[in-house]
Amino acid sequence: MGNKKKNKTKVMKNTENGNDNNNNNKQTTTEDIAIEVKDLWIGYKDIQAYSIKKSLLKLKKAHVEEFQAVRGVSYTVKRGEILGIIGKNGSGKSTMLKALAGIFCADQGTIELKGHSVSLLSIGVGFQMEITGRENILLSGMLLGFSEEEIRGKMPEIIEFAELGKFIDKPVKTYSSGMYSKLAFSITAVLQTEIMLIDEVLSVGDAKFKKKSYRKMKELISNKDRTVVIVSHNEQTLLELCDRVMWMHDGEIKRIGDPKEVLDEYAEFMK
Amino acid sequence: MTRFWNDMKKYYDYEIRAAKSELKTEVANSYLNWIWWVLDPLFTMVIYYLIFGVVFQAKELYFTTFLFIGQTMWAFFNKNVVQSVKMIKRNKSIVARVYIPKFVLLVSNMMINAFKMAISWMIVVIMMIATRVPLSSHLLCFIPIMIVMTMVTFAVSINLMHFGVFVEDLGNVINIVMKLLLYMTGIFYSIETRLGPKHPLAAKIILHGNPMALLITDMRNVLLYDKAPHWIWLLIWAMISIFFSVIGIKTIYKNENTYVKVI
Repeated sequence: MGNKKKNKTKVMKNTENGNDNNNNNKQTTTEDIAIEVKDLWIGYKDIQAYSIKKSLLKLKKAHVEEFQAVRGVSYTVKRGEILGIIGKNGSGKSTMLKALAGIFCADQGTIELKGHSVSLLSIGVGFQMEITGRENILLSGMLLGFSEEEIRGKMPEIIEFAELGKFIDKPVKTYSSGMYSKLAFSITAVLQTEIMLIDEVLSVGDAKFKKKSYRKMKELISNKDRTVVIVSHNEQTLLELCDRVMWMHDGEIKRIGDPKEVLDEYAEFMK
Repeated sequence: MTRFWNDMKKYYDYEIRAAKSELKTEVANSYLNWIWWVLDPLFTMVIYYLIFGVVFQAKELYFTTFLFIGQTMWAFFNKNVVQSVKMIKRNKSIVARVYIPKFVLLVSNMMINAFKMAISWMIVVIMMIATRVPLSSHLLCFIPIMIVMTMVTFAVSINLMHFGVFVEDLGNVINIVMKLLLYMTGIFYSIETRLGPKHPLAAKIILHGNPMALLITDMRNVLLYDKAPHWIWLLIWAMISIFFSVIGIKTIYKNENTYVKVI
């Protein structure tokens, strides 16, 4: 489920940037492509909130800072593939992930998900402290785009995974922070979409649950029908999980390809 | 617009559930729990009654019920409009992490206010029985008037929700506008009988140009005074509301994915 909205914006003439990086995936046939990004530009310009007071005090128009977070990026991800994205802070990784999830809009270029459902893995969305864990599962699940029946069907699995026992019928405000994140993690881990977008691989709770949640994440990610995009700073995780790694630098793709090669080059660069 | 109805259907369950949890949260946080939902409108009415009934000697028939009807409808409109301005910012944690059609937040909030209004209406019924208001066939007009009021409220709120994202201090402006509008809506006086004889033109302009004044006046007429509502003007305002709702919905769909960059 999730949002099946195809994020399509008008393509404008801008051909020079970014296209030369991904010649290696041109051969793939169109059927098994899950994500196709063409010449994606995302900027944070000109969208500062306007204030009536400020504009009355200063008649001159404020200088607008332009900042392009993603500059003409193009790539494709095959169905079932695990793509890792690495890069220093502010290189546009998270922005792009949000655009894939349909939370951000692109300024130029297109993102095609070929009708696959997509969700950005985020824990505890829409949680209300005063209602019970069980009710929060429904609330959060519905917000992620699942129907009530689907969630009710998976409810036992979520509750079991979260290991909360009796607390599941108590208000979330009575939970310890560990219990809170266990519940939040279990919801996202059990309710999953065809395309999964992950901003940093999560492991929560105490040492035991950490292991368990990491294993669960790995299991989810390695499911061969599931297309996954992971943003991470942890080179070890990416090396372990990914089929391909993309290195982003200042909003552009610097390298994309075999995890080992790209990560080695990245490590060299970061020294 | 088809997208709007599809999204409406898809997220309807969520809207209800979110509204319920919000109400539960409100109840859980206070000592007297849901009694506040009754006390709040009741005390507002008592204040109005002391000022306008006792101090200014209002002479309207069934004055307390008259006041309460106005207060009930105004509270619904006012709360929705004021809350809509900050709606996106208030739900930042959701908006920044998942995609949902943004009007869903608004509709859910309207449900909360509608529930509170329903409690107020129950008090109105009790007051009508207690003060022996004669029953008439005009009571049925309650439903169309409520529908038009919901439409007007939605039309105003959805447009404000959009501008509230981009105009930082819109909330301050709206607060002032709503204060002015409160006095121009005739919550504690009758536009027709107080303003009408001396300033017929002003009364007409307010009654027809301010949808809330029209709706409240008509509601009092049908519930208390066995008079027909201004059907034509109700229809006109329904059409205007549909027009602005469509504009609002289209604007929101077009811009909703830039909101997260601003907040």
